[in-house]
Amino acid sequence: MNTIRIKFQKVGLASFFSHLDLQKIMMRALKKSKLPVWYSMGYNPHIYMTFTLPLSLGHESICESFDFRLNEELTENEIMEAMKGTLPEGIIITGASAPEYDVSEIKYAEYHITMHGNKEVLEKALMDYDNNSEILVTKTTKRSSKEVNLKNEIINMKIIEESEDSICFSALYPAGNTYNLNPSLLLEYFKNNYGIDTNSFNVLRVHLLNENLNILQ
Amino acid sequence: MIDNKLKSILLSVQKPARYTGGELGCVIKNKDEVDVRFAFCFPDTYEIGMSHLGLKVIYESLNNEKNIWCERCFAPWIDMHQKMKENNIPLYTLESKTPLRQMDIIGFTLQYEMSYTNILQMLDLSGIPFYSKDRDESYPLIIAGGPCTCNAEPVADFFDIMALGEGEYLDVQICNVYDKWKKEGKTKIELLKELSKLEGIYVPSFYDIEYNEDNTIKAVTPLHDAPLPCNKAIIREFGNLHFPTNIVVPNIDIVHNRAMVEVLRGCVRGCRFCQAGFIYRPFRERDVDLINEGAMDLCQNTGYEEISLTSLSTSDHPKLEELLDKMDSWTHEEKVNIALPSLRIDNFSESLIEKTTKVRKSGLTFAPEAGTQRLRDIINKNINQDEIDKTAKLAFEGGYTHVKLYFMMGLPGETMEDIKGIADTANHIMDIFYSMPNRPKGKPEISISVASFVPKPYTPFQFFGQNDMELIKKKQEYLLECCKSNKRIKVSYSNADMSFLEAVFARGDRRQAKVIETVYKKGGMFDGWYECFDYNLWVESFKENNIDMSFYASRFRCYDEINPWDHINYGVTKEFLIREYERSLKCITTKPCNIECNNCGANKILRRACFEYNKN
Repeated sequence: MNTIRIKFQKVGLASFFSHLDLQKIMMRALKKSKLPVWYSMGYNPHIYMTFTLPLSLGHESICESFDFRLNEELTENEIMEAMKGTLPEGIIITGASAPEYDVSEIKYAEYHITMHGNKEVLEKALMDYDNNSEILVTKTTKRSSKEVNLKNEIINMKIIEESEDSICFSALYPAGNTYNLNPSLLLEYFKNNYGIDTNSFNVLRVHLLNENLNILQ
Repeated sequence: MIDNKLKSILLSVQKPARYTGGELGCVIKNKDEVDVRFAFCFPDTYEIGMSHLGLKVIYESLNNEKNIWCERCFAPWIDMHQKMKENNIPLYTLESKTPLRQMDIIGFTLQYEMSYTNILQMLDLSGIPFYSKDRDESYPLIIAGGPCTCNAEPVADFFDIMALGEGEYLDVQICNVYDKWKKEGKTKIELLKELSKLEGIYVPSFYDIEYNEDNTIKAVTPLHDAPLPCNKAIIREFGNLHFPTNIVVPNIDIVHNRAMVEVLRGCVRGCRFCQAGFIYRPFRERDVDLINEGAMDLCQNTGYEEISLTSLSTSDHPKLEELLDKMDSWTHEEKVNIALPSLRIDNFSESLIEKTTKVRKSGLTFAPEAGTQRLRDIINKNINQDEIDKTAKLAFEGGYTHVKLYFMMGLPGETMEDIKGIADTANHIMDIFYSMPNRPKGKPEISISVASFVPKPYTPFQFFGQNDMELIKKKQEYLLECCKSNKRIKVSYSNADMSFLEAVFARGDRRQAKVIETVYKKGGMFDGWYECFDYNLWVESFKENNIDMSFYASRFRCYDEINPWDHINYGVTKEFLIREYERSLKCITTKPCNIECNNCGANKILRRACFEYNKN
């Protein structure tokens, strides 16, 4: 029995279905692939899948992955071939091999966030963010809600691309199975303070990183 | 593709994947390489519409034609509806995101009366006038199909044509006639005339309706050589008819998210309340090998882990056991679960339970429909107490602890004794559970679900006046009273006012179109949803249009009255329906029609005998 990590992108139309939907889609895809997938031995046998890091609905990503187990040894090519034509538009498989890192190593996720709208407003929003030492927002979880200072959380924020009516910046957000920060919190802050339409943002996750800020492949 | 405006809207509504398309199995063609573009419209949410087998059947049969491209469209939920209005986004097809207004044919499926306002919603969002008479050649042809077309007179004025009966071949024929017409550049009336020659096409504007002073129908006169009666379309060689094996698999969860195969069509039983049991006649079953191989393809193509063998009464397939044995040879290995949603109490066997519960165990549902033998005889549900008991025992022995029972109230000839009988039946099944030494672990739970009876056209009860709401509510309260003593029996029942409105439309006529329009303009839609249904809005709108609701729902209709659907022929004759109604009054049952022909008339549409009776 070998564990395989499938790497994939979730872009375009695929950004509109949720993490839970994605799990079911992958389950059907594995079934359709006819790969010798390992099933749990219980009363209701099921495919054992672990997703690396959930992605919010509406966000896109080029660095998604999940693990499952195979009963036989197969090459990356054989797996990729079997998975062809099993997935809906916007889910693109980019790799399939033994995991190279443990999920617990993930400490940061890098996002590219594009904001559209009045350029002056966008610039002011980012400038103010830079100059402030405290950006307080409320983080709500299932159990509680607490106030966090985004300036202590988000690191390496920088503008990477601009056009007449948009700015794209990259930033590292805390991520992983112990602590996560949703990029939407900053976007909500921009919406509340500058009136930038939250739905005009494009959020793209590009990398997962460890605590030394090395990219996890 | 989705542009930025649409994208930002999608991020602000619930379940945006309802509106994106891009699912596995959806068909994308080059619009320049097809002649006819067809939008299949389901006037309800994505989750409801995508669960509907008919959509998959028509989608595949149209898309199998090289020159036709069939796309899907569903009613946007209220949040999306508002956003589309605010942002001037026209309703579009999921495959190519083309506004409906640019399609050649828009086909609505009419599955239930409560979806009528959503037809107007979808036309409204497309900028298409509601009434057929207000649309010239520049608009798409607006057509309707599905079971409600057997009496879709309430919405008849909205449609150019209606496709009666079975659509697998008919819809392709419609497209081909349309294609020829479009290339010839003729007028709309010429298109309608040409279409009316096809068996199964009903052109509402080709039938002139006159009314008596008492509001009943005086006469129906066909125009332009339209046929009288207008026959439904039927597939005469159903046994070898292919079914969809490469369906669209939704990205989000829907109501019935599984593979489905229609194993048979029609029903032999003749339960007197059941419209489907009459309008889909005659009974025809699919070939077992065709089902088995198709089912295998279907599971392979979709990756579904459950396959449902659907029909009106799956255990009536003469070779069901053989089919299950064949399917067992691969479903077990592939970890696919077989679901049999429509089983009958009288031929439910131990081996059926065993075969369907091998992989995963689901709940068990049965429909005694009525609580006493007398009433079951009246409605011709040919089952008796022993059979109910035997089934319950088998289910419990098979490991089930949760049993769901379907009943109706408001049936012809019903008394309070019969209502009490519902509770007695449930209690009796509970007693059976506790009397069994080999009962499964855990506590039993029995859910009884009680619908209010709605008299429907083409059934023997089409003459019957529906119980008024006061009486239904009284019966509901009494049932709760009867079930109070046992906490493991759960009772649910349908909305009496919704059932009343359903009855108004089921036997309604063309004068109701303006009421539907009034309600829609006042903001009414998604009437089948409890959270949206506004009964008072309907009452008010009927009043405004001077139409009496109880005239349609509550009145007994004399046998010689001309009904709004009498000029349409679904096979069963009015004489047969009268005969059956008379028998019900005397509590006389009628045998299933595969045992003995009851001369319902459906064989005339099939053009041969439905069964070889001398064989046994």
